[in-house]
Amino acid sequence: MLDAPARTRFARNRSALAGAAVVALLVAFALVGPLLASHGALESDFARGVAPDAMPVGPSAAFPLGADRIFRDVFARLAVAGRLSLLVAVSATLIASAIGAFVGIVAGYYEGTRQHLPWPAAVGLVGALGAVASGCTRLAIGALIAGTTASLLRRFGGPRLDVDGLLMRTVDVMLAFPFLLLVMAIGAALDRTSAVTLFVILGATGWMGIARVLRARTMQVRSLDYVAASRALGQPPGSVMFKHVLPNVAGPLIVSATVLVAQMIVADSVLSYLGLGIAPPTPTWGRMLFEGQDYYSTAPWLVAAPATAILLAVWGFNMLGEGLRDAIDPHEA
Amino acid sequence: MVWGVVSIVFVVSSLLPGDPARMVAGAQARPADVARIRRQLGLGDPAMVQYARFWKRLLHLGPRVIDVEADSAHDTCAVILPLGGSAVHIDFGKSFQKRQSVVDLVSTRLPRTLALALAGMVLQLLLGLTSGVFAATRRGSWLDGLLVGSSLLGISTPTFLTALLLQYVFARGLGWLPIDGFGATLGEHARCLVLPALTLGMYGAAYYTRLVRDEMVVLLQQDWVRTARAKGLSPGRVVLRHGLRNALVPIVTAVGLDFGALMGGAVVTETVFRWPGLGELSVKAMLDRDGPVIVACVIVSSVMIVGANVLVDAAYARLDPRVGHSRP
Amino acid sequence: MRSILTKPDTPGPSLALCALVLLGAPLGCDTTLPFPVASAHSEDSPPRRGGTLHLATYGDLRSGIDPASGTDQSLGPIHLVFAGLVDYDGSARVVPDLADHWAVDDGGRTYRFVLRVGVIMHDGAELTADDVKRSAERALHPSTPDPNASYFANIAGYEAYAAGRADHLAGVVVEGRYVVAFHLAKPDSTFPYLLAMHTLRPTCRSAGDRYSDAWLACGAGPFELPPSGWRRGTSLRLVRHPGYFRPGEPYLDAVEWTFNMKALAQRVRFERGELDLARELTDGDTARFMADARWRPLGTVEADTSIYGESMNTRMAPFDNLEIRRAVAAAIDREHLRMVQPSRMSVLTQALPKALWDDPSFAGQGYDYPAALQHMKKAGYPFDPVTGTGGWTEPIEYLLFDQGLDVYTAQLVQQDLAKVGLRLRLHLVSYSAFLTLQERADASAMSQGNWMLDYPDPSSIFDPLFTTEAIASEGSFNTAFYSNPRFDELAARAHLEADAAVRRALYREANAILCDQAPWAFTFGHHNFDVRQAYVHGFAPHPVGPLDVSGVWLDRAGEALERALGGGLR
Repeated sequence: MLDAPARTRFARNRSALAGAAVVALLVAFALVGPLLASHGALESDFARGVAPDAMPVGPSAAFPLGADRIFRDVFARLAVAGRLSLLVAVSATLIASAIGAFVGIVAGYYEGTRQHLPWPAAVGLVGALGAVASGCTRLAIGALIAGTTASLLRRFGGPRLDVDGLLMRTVDVMLAFPFLLLVMAIGAALDRTSAVTLFVILGATGWMGIARVLRARTMQVRSLDYVAASRALGQPPGSVMFKHVLPNVAGPLIVSATVLVAQMIVADSVLSYLGLGIAPPTPTWGRMLFEGQDYYSTAPWLVAAPATAILLAVWGFNMLGEGLRDAIDPHEA
Repeated sequence: MVWGVVSIVFVVSSLLPGDPARMVAGAQARPADVARIRRQLGLGDPAMVQYARFWKRLLHLGPRVIDVEADSAHDTCAVILPLGGSAVHIDFGKSFQKRQSVVDLVSTRLPRTLALALAGMVLQLLLGLTSGVFAATRRGSWLDGLLVGSSLLGISTPTFLTALLLQYVFARGLGWLPIDGFGATLGEHARCLVLPALTLGMYGAAYYTRLVRDEMVVLLQQDWVRTARAKGLSPGRVVLRHGLRNALVPIVTAVGLDFGALMGGAVVTETVFRWPGLGELSVKAMLDRDGPVIVACVIVSSVMIVGANVLVDAAYARLDPRVGHSRP
Repeated sequence: MRSILTKPDTPGPSLALCALVLLGAPLGCDTTLPFPVASAHSEDSPPRRGGTLHLATYGDLRSGIDPASGTDQSLGPIHLVFAGLVDYDGSARVVPDLADHWAVDDGGRTYRFVLRVGVIMHDGAELTADDVKRSAERALHPSTPDPNASYFANIAGYEAYAAGRADHLAGVVVEGRYVVAFHLAKPDSTFPYLLAMHTLRPTCRSAGDRYSDAWLACGAGPFELPPSGWRRGTSLRLVRHPGYFRPGEPYLDAVEWTFNMKALAQRVRFERGELDLARELTDGDTARFMADARWRPLGTVEADTSIYGESMNTRMAPFDNLEIRRAVAAAIDREHLRMVQPSRMSVLTQALPKALWDDPSFAGQGYDYPAALQHMKKAGYPFDPVTGTGGWTEPIEYLLFDQGLDVYTAQLVQQDLAKVGLRLRLHLVSYSAFLTLQERADASAMSQGNWMLDYPDPSSIFDPLFTTEAIASEGSFNTAFYSNPRFDELAARAHLEADAAVRRALYREANAILCDQAPWAFTFGHHNFDVRQAYVHGFAPHPVGPLDVSGVWLDRAGEALERALGGGLR
């Protein structure tokens, strides 16, 4: 998708370049920063980190960005946190965007129709779900999932399946499920504080918005002349979706994804409210923000440092995303 | 669908580690006392029994007028549908922690969350749409950069930080608005609503700004728009009538999602501003494992989301004829 | 089509705006504190009547004010609305309150209380011995959600009553209009402490025989609850009980609590003089106030009322090894730990808070790095700090909940233990899961133990935490699963012993056993720290913890002017 003209367009876009530069800078900071810091990210320094009033020191020679509540170097922690925060945010966004795009495009494409669904495949899927569920000896969940799936299939199924209805009802159920409880349930089922749990939580809760937006957009794109033409010509749906629909919805997808990255980075601090996320002492920007809030007025560097990092990351990803969108699809101007 | 969600919630919350009776009794309560409280709360029964009991009580027929003193069987109910001599009662049970009818709790707090959600929604749309329109029409100028920048600031700041900032500037620094709370009179309610609504507004406006700006930028550069402008139609009319109208589909989608989420309760905002709504109730209930309250909040929020979806789908059909009609 | 004449987006303005707002905001906050609102008269002038005391808290009252169902959250209001037979004086001794005097008979098995005559309760009726018995039976009835009922298991007839086999509590006997006797199954010198707790405090006749959620609190305390005084989830207002049995008291017209208020809001309101006493300021704020010479005399340090330590499961590796436990106790630098919250934490080197045990000659535990390395070597897992090899090779699961101190102290302990070759892996769970897992026999190797004093006596700590009978496979308060027959014997004897000197010797030996055997590495004690306005007088901290404002009087400068102008400046 990023051919020569696209690359030229990107290169001429000043703010896209600035965005890319900022992101690169942050990545470099995350990788190299801890090596440059005078302290480790996990070491408390009681000799130099304590101010006369027994509070952590502010920005000073030994601690360029000040010390945190247990007298560790904020600069080093910020850099180490960058690794995890950026990694988690980008990965989770990719997961969520992929799921959301798939669901949204398929649902929008098949909206209003009913399709043949190979029954053996469906039964196999339900059976697999049930087996996984009862393998966990959570027979109750397994039975419930099987029951709900069966009832949905019966309602929307029959000889022909309303794919759009099924997918959108799944979206609705996911949206109606309280975020807190979902997050706590995932946290309890998996190990509460591993990075994988975090990916799953963020990915699982982030895709619904993208799916809905893309579904709406796909339904609009569906009626475009060349799309209708290629369908009439008998092109297989998968190919139509990939070659014609996807580029047309790439605009909102990229914008949504870049906004999602920002939300993912920030979501970490909200999860800290619930005691989820990466376990201490490993820092993430969101957790540093959460830990610093009580000290907003007495030790503002505890909040300003991660907030600035987050802001730069958000800004960078946004400009980058917008530049990519403009480069890929100039018709969108 | 509400049934499905609630059942899953029931199952999940009973499987989570943590003992509601212990949370009621306190950390230092002896096991014998915790066991007694557990029995009193009805948690000693097997899960299926509790589940069945819950659904049986949820909607049932009962006397038209509930006399709490005389008839303790209906002391946690509320009448929702009078039918001659009797009526349909709704009963969510009694909160473990607050020992109060959950129907009462929810019905007191629901209007407050509704008020906050609506106010937040209005501010989001106001800030978002106007910034988006301005940014789109003055694309490439410093104003565009400024508005995009502030929308980014909105997204990248978690709500508790925005709330803190707003409290610091407006309540502590300038003293124009109350720092938190709900107030006693209608006027006070309105004043206390400003900062929390603004917090939500600033956070959510960002998305609308970007959405509107992108949609409108596309539209404004199409030939027929240029023609209309060349013919002398004022830019304002063109922008509003044509540009905004077409951008409405994704906006409406987002509004629907948003409203549903807000009705689940803007947890952090309500907590920081001491706004006594459903969000504050549900997060405390989840941390304390207060089962009846959790289930009731889930029911309310799923009903709200389903309702919002229905409205959004209806709006789609009216707004964009292309969406409703094209079928392969 | 994108016109090449369109100016490309300039990144400048948006970035500049963001930077300005973000960095400018904290710089814009001022760091000077306002003057404390002055007192109209000096500290030694006689108490004045009048005024409302405004308090705020992060917590909430939840289910109401009732001694039969009170938990930690509601102790403050319960203490003001309900007076008990006995209470504490300033030096943590139990003194008569509603009782006029009491006598101990029958080898410590009977406590006979003679009530004051003419004590009027909030409903106007006089307090009699029948009220005491009725309130006790109401609190201890099996249908009452009382979290502390089993503390009174020693009262004769408790078992039958709690099982529902008896209609009345046989051990509480009314012997006259103003005389009531408590008969115990075994002699217990700590019984007066139990009576000083809130559970058995007398309630008005309107409370009836059985607990009910809808009852409006009514007792014999200095303050009463007006009908609309409790706005659920928002605020609580208590007003003076005009018939309080101590003449002239209480001085305050009313006490008002606001609930669910976060730290910043509390601080701002306190600075403006809208709150009169602040207990929950953050450490940063507390440090700022105490650094200011105008505010320093207005800070009050309360007594240590809770102990914290690292609880090691003596049945799980590696803590079934005594030397490793000793190594842990010696490896933790408690002075550093204290820095997490210096205004409220104090170093603890043995099992009892300083208020109960202040003996400089007592050895206890302590930070001694070389000794810690020695213990590791004796344990069979020597660690070489230079190369970082050796020690216990597997990571040790440390259970942790995300609330306040625990998170930070755990990270410091992790650093300290790494220096002797013990590598901790922090496992974060919710508070309710923490309680469940910590008290399960095989679920957690190490976690933070803490206990709040129920009453100012060593038995309040030793009995529930370290005796063998406190062990259970689920819900065990003995989170170290520690069992020592000699310790059990000492604790049991001290419970029965009446002579103070003998008890102290017994507890000294018990304490020494705990410090040496180290089921816990005792780390710090916790106390409350209050900052009050200059016009708040007569505040005397309660030895066991609830915020006790019954003796407070206000003397606000400008208050007369306020009233003259017709309304508060608030």
